[in-house]
Amino acid sequence: MRIAISSNKPDLEARVGSRLGTSKYLMIIDLRTMAVEAVPYPGGSGQGGGGIQAVVLAISKKVDTVLTGYCSPTAEKYLSANGIEILTGVSGTVAEVVQQYKTGDLQRRMGVVRKSESGGAKIDRRTLFLALKNSSNQFINLLPILVGVVLLIGLFNAFASKELLSYLFTGNRALDTLWGACFGSIFTGNPINSYIIGGGLLEYGVGLCAVTALIIAWVTVGLAQLPAEISALGSKFALIRNGISFALSIAIAFATVGILNFITG
Amino acid sequence: MISLNKDRYLTKIWKKRAVHLLIFPASVLFIYGILFIIMPGKALIALRSSGKVFANIIMPLCLVFILMLVLNLFLKPAYITKFLGKEAGIKGIILSAAAGIISAGPIYAWYPMLKALREKGADSSFIAIFLGNRAVKPFLLPIMISYFGWIYVLILTVFTIFGSLLAGYCIGILVKENRS
Repeated sequence: MRIAISSNKPDLEARVGSRLGTSKYLMIIDLRTMAVEAVPYPGGSGQGGGGIQAVVLAISKKVDTVLTGYCSPTAEKYLSANGIEILTGVSGTVAEVVQQYKTGDLQRRMGVVRKSESGGAKIDRRTLFLALKNSSNQFINLLPILVGVVLLIGLFNAFASKELLSYLFTGNRALDTLWGACFGSIFTGNPINSYIIGGGLLEYGVGLCAVTALIIAWVTVGLAQLPAEISALGSKFALIRNGISFALSIAIAFATVGILNFITG
Repeated sequence: MISLNKDRYLTKIWKKRAVHLLIFPASVLFIYGILFIIMPGKALIALRSSGKVFANIIMPLCLVFILMLVLNLFLKPAYITKFLGKEAGIKGIILSAAAGIISAGPIYAWYPMLKALREKGADSSFIAIFLGNRAVKPFLLPIMISYFGWIYVLILTVFTIFGSLLAGYCIGILVKENRS
């Protein structure tokens, strides 16, 4: 059982950091051996991003519980998603908190039921509740846009004519596939929407190649997310990856439809 | 005091997210509202057509939720990302591809993890393979099959996985790491 406590000094007598994102150290304590490790994190300088760096650190150090004064909802979400318990509103010195945690006083005071250490991969109520909560959140997040897309398809079916679509998708397989890849690169969001849009386009006689390119580029190429990808992984990587993915979406579309036609005759 | 601030902060974030998520469907509903006033006949046709699309996806959507729950129960992002970059060669490639396939959620949520991994020395090609395989969504397969049939989905999935490996290989060559 390993716990991490945020602190501003690499010292057991230092006070617990008031915010996970701005603290300078994570004091990692193994409760069995009582080995202490003070790990600094660069994001803890208060210039932003410290919370996420602390999360990455807690995950890589295989911590079970994080104790701090305050933790941002985003960092809390990442910690919970990785099965790490988070206790906020903690104060006192690091040594005091470790003692209170070991005796269970801290958990009792905060109304937390101690996790079974022998639990391992066992699915307890808390894990099931967390998984249900995460799944419901993911589902609720995808529903509004999905409802909007379906309603838009209804409008499209009522108003758009084949002539309007054939203005864009001329029936030229190569050109239509290129258009499909372009649309997929511009639009973003849950891939479920690309399937529904693709299905609608097929009903209007748009070729399967174009629809396939749209579906692949929808996920693998992201013009809208490009700035975020550049800042995270570098401009060279992001531009080359998106460029290759765009070309591949067209190649895969042709290969998939070619093989499908061959199999189904 | 802290919990009060936290509650306020959470409410603010939820409001912002809800507004962001609801803008698009609300705009479409607004168009429907105007249509019902000026062209009620056409608006009804559009609504019926949307109803048919909903009827087609409702069962696959239930399956999607169950698959999401199963994935959330047994897979944690930390377990997924720890596979990336640790192993070299074929094993690393397979693990990166598998991690991409089972990863869920919007891509921007993964950028901080990928950035940290890359800084720790994970190879560019593994990150590219991971991102390419995100196109394969196991929990969305019911919807995809209901639209395009399982043979198409199978072929597309195989090609997507091979395509991502090819992309990873090319990126590995083109993006030379500066590890000095």
